Amino acid sequence: MAKEIKIPQISESVDTATVSEILVSKGDKIEEGQGVIAVETDKASTEIPATSAGKVKEIKVSEGDEVSVGDVILILEEAEGGSEENEESGDEKEKKEASEEEENGKKEEKQDKTSEEKEKKKTKDKQDKSEEKKEGEEKSAEEEDEDESKDESADEDKDYEEKKSSEKSEKDKPTDKQSSKEVYASPGVRRMARELGVNIQEIEGSGESGRITEKDVKSHKEGGGKRSGTVQLELPDFSKWGAVERKPLNNIKKTTAKNVLESWQSIPHVFQFGEADISGIESYMEDHKEKVEEAGGKLTLTAILTKVVATALHKFPMFNASIDIEKEEMILKKYVNINIAVATDEGLLVPVIKNADQKSIKDLSVEISEIAQKARDQKLSNEDMEGGNFSISNLGGIGGTNFTPIVYHPQVAILGVSRAGIKPVYIDDNFEPRSILPLSLSYDHRLIDGADGASFMNWMVKALEDPYEALLG
Amino acid sequence: MAKNDKKELVIIGAGPGGYAAAFHAADLGIKVTLIDPEVNPGGVCLYRGCIPSKALLHLAKTKEEAMKASEWGMQFEKPKINRKKIAEWKESVVKKLTDGLGQLSKSRKIEYVQGKAKFTGENELEVSPEKGEKFKVSFEKAIIATGSSAMELPNLEIDHKKIWDATDALELKEIPKKMLVIGGGYIGLELGSVYASLGTKVSVAEMTPGFLPGTDRDLIKIFQKKEPFKNVYFETKVEEVKMTKEGVKVFLKGKNDEKSKKFDCVLVAVGRKPNTQNLGLDKLGISPNENGFIEVDAERRTDHEHIFAIGDITGEPMLAHKASHEGRIAAEVIAGKKGAAYDPKVIPAIVFTNPELAWCGLTENEAKEIGRKVKIVKFPWVASGRAAAIGENKGFTKLLIDPESEVILGGAVAGKNAGSLISEIALAVEMGSTASDLSLTIHPHPTLSETIMESAELFYGSATHFKKG
Repeated sequence: MAKEIKIPQISESVDTATVSEILVSKGDKIEEGQGVIAVETDKASTEIPATSAGKVKEIKVSEGDEVSVGDVILILEEAEGGSEENEESGDEKEKKEASEEEENGKKEEKQDKTSEEKEKKKTKDKQDKSEEKKEGEEKSAEEEDEDESKDESADEDKDYEEKKSSEKSEKDKPTDKQSSKEVYASPGVRRMARELGVNIQEIEGSGESGRITEKDVKSHKEGGGKRSGTVQLELPDFSKWGAVERKPLNNIKKTTAKNVLESWQSIPHVFQFGEADISGIESYMEDHKEKVEEAGGKLTLTAILTKVVATALHKFPMFNASIDIEKEEMILKKYVNINIAVATDEGLLVPVIKNADQKSIKDLSVEISEIAQKARDQKLSNEDMEGGNFSISNLGGIGGTNFTPIVYHPQVAILGVSRAGIKPVYIDDNFEPRSILPLSLSYDHRLIDGADGASFMNWMVKALEDPYEALLG
Repeated sequence: MAKNDKKELVIIGAGPGGYAAAFHAADLGIKVTLIDPEVNPGGVCLYRGCIPSKALLHLAKTKEEAMKASEWGMQFEKPKINRKKIAEWKESVVKKLTDGLGQLSKSRKIEYVQGKAKFTGENELEVSPEKGEKFKVSFEKAIIATGSSAMELPNLEIDHKKIWDATDALELKEIPKKMLVIGGGYIGLELGSVYASLGTKVSVAEMTPGFLPGTDRDLIKIFQKKEPFKNVYFETKVEEVKMTKEGVKVFLKGKNDEKSKKFDCVLVAVGRKPNTQNLGLDKLGISPNENGFIEVDAERRTDHEHIFAIGDITGEPMLAHKASHEGRIAAEVIAGKKGAAYDPKVIPAIVFTNPELAWCGLTENEAKEIGRKVKIVKFPWVASGRAAAIGENKGFTKLLIDPESEVILGGAVAGKNAGSLISEIALAVEMGSTASDLSLTIHPHPTLSETIMESAELFYGSATHFKKG
């Protein structure tokens, strides 16, 4: 009978990982507890231990594979075919014993010790069957040992080697525990952790060699163990109500999930809405469409918005800043890099347009078209996504009247754009059909006040409706 | 003295554990009653242990250094030993310190009761005072700090005349010509050294294959190189001791041979055992564990919320500085200080022989035992300027360092002032310091403390004054 070794739950929140190394080869004899493969998760690299001993028959994974909890890593050949668990019925067992007795006869010469052990066990087994209850009191210490080993491996075929190794691995356990629990922190910090009711073992030290500082303990406490203890709400068993399929999240989804959660938890959001009459812009776009196309781009509202936002960020430098709570400072950036959210098949990507303020609408149109394509082709480099100060998320192409995007930490604001629609606007004693663009601005209230938010929105609307007036100051 | 009101905190035993607990508790605003058979606080450590032995060892060292000075051109005459005066001086040191503790106790308004105490119930003690009648004391909280006493050999009665325990040896009643010390632990070595220096021919019998069982062998080598004793019998048991006219006849059974030797006196220094007898622990339902110790939690509480235990009775190592630390912790717990708990990474150990041996944290032996990977760096004092200038070139300083995190896990020093030097390594381990923390801290020149810095430098392959290989 073959045994399988599967991927265990690696850690609380991680259930997929990438195989970084195979530590055993086909034909190897492995012991229980021995590392068989190394896997890497977002968080750490770890070895997966064998859950039972045996000879490696087949390895089911290779380096680079993405594996999930429950996946089979390898298949073990059972040593002389028997099940390790005490599942067999008494009858079957006896039959087995009988046939094994012959086998043992052959082996005896080779392995005196082994056969001796087995003999003892066998005779005892027979006794056990008739007088199971009585034995306890009569046993000598030596016999007791015997008995334990019997309990562990109900089948007699497990050879001596294997027994020894299981004994050894048990002995090793306490030492393992000790070494994994080492904490480097000064006595004062250790005491402070106790005062604050923080388990110092759970803290990741920021100091050299992972030394835990006073600050680490405090921030762990303040976070209420937020980092490690983001409440994992329990999921019901959905299959009770119908068929379900479980699919692993891809890396983009995983990263987005992590980032938005952190931003949402650490940034106090305020949402400001506005509407801009972009009838003028629409005719402007119609007029200049071809020129931009000649340059190899597509004149879009996003490109124009990027230009307007870039100008606004000069006028409202706080929206181009970050906040350093620890040092109680704001960081004003003297460059204007703007992220553009791009929806791709794999998920949300947010590439950056660098120095957007120094680029013309035509240049921006070309660059945005190119980088959006790059995003959809999954070809963005880290550099393409780093260093943004402000983001624009335009869902106008899809629809909706308004939405509230989440600010990307460490930025402090994001502009959400929905679909423009024709609305009656009261102009010169008449209602006129105008193209109205719904805008939403989400910002970090730690740095930006409501008045700033409203002013920013007002200026954006004005700039879209009448750029000359906006630029007048 | 009102004897029937309920005491807020009663501490039984005024050794380094008990008085540290009492003083700290009093400073934290607790009303303390401290009970001890001696006139003043101090316990074995001050009256019959650490302090008097250090006074005598200081003389031993003074003599040794004076004799050695002849090699460098300063010749002293052979010293005249005035046993009586030495004993008086030692007594005066003890008195000065214990009187001082008595003062410190008074100034903290601690109620000091000279007597013995015994539990008669969960909140009641019976005190047998030095003078006067027994009386009962009820209490809210109690700390047991009764310490330890010398262990005896089953076949050898201590008669305090020819067969001594450490207390007898410290009294300096006579300076025997030939003495056998049974036990090669730190007490045997220290007291053996004292008598050797006073002119006694000291031999040592030890059951295990070497001095200070469990201690790293390289430290002991430094001590043994000086051949401090006349004869040393390892793996040897004392089979029988007979009193004869000519002295004490001792039958020694070695691994391969048996011999009988004659001595003027025998000092038994085979270890110490916790004092859990006659305490009325049964009235509390507390029974010592298999090693004779009272089990306590990190806050030093026994099975009873309101009864604490500290010091030698709570377990190894039986050392004064461990007891004092526990005492202060217990006092803080009782005062309601959050976070107070006993969780030391190191308890430094020192043997005050000449040279001194000291170690703390992980030892080489332990590292081997638990299969822990460590990098061991050792700086020999022959490369230290200060060591050369004081004629101390046989010592060394050693650090055990985690090869990956570079954190200091333990260390040892053999040589002059090792006992003072070890504190820096102890602090390093407690702080989770790395080798670079030690190597980047400027150490004053020329001092022996530089050897710690240079050991840490060795970890990175380059120490200023020592080139490997």
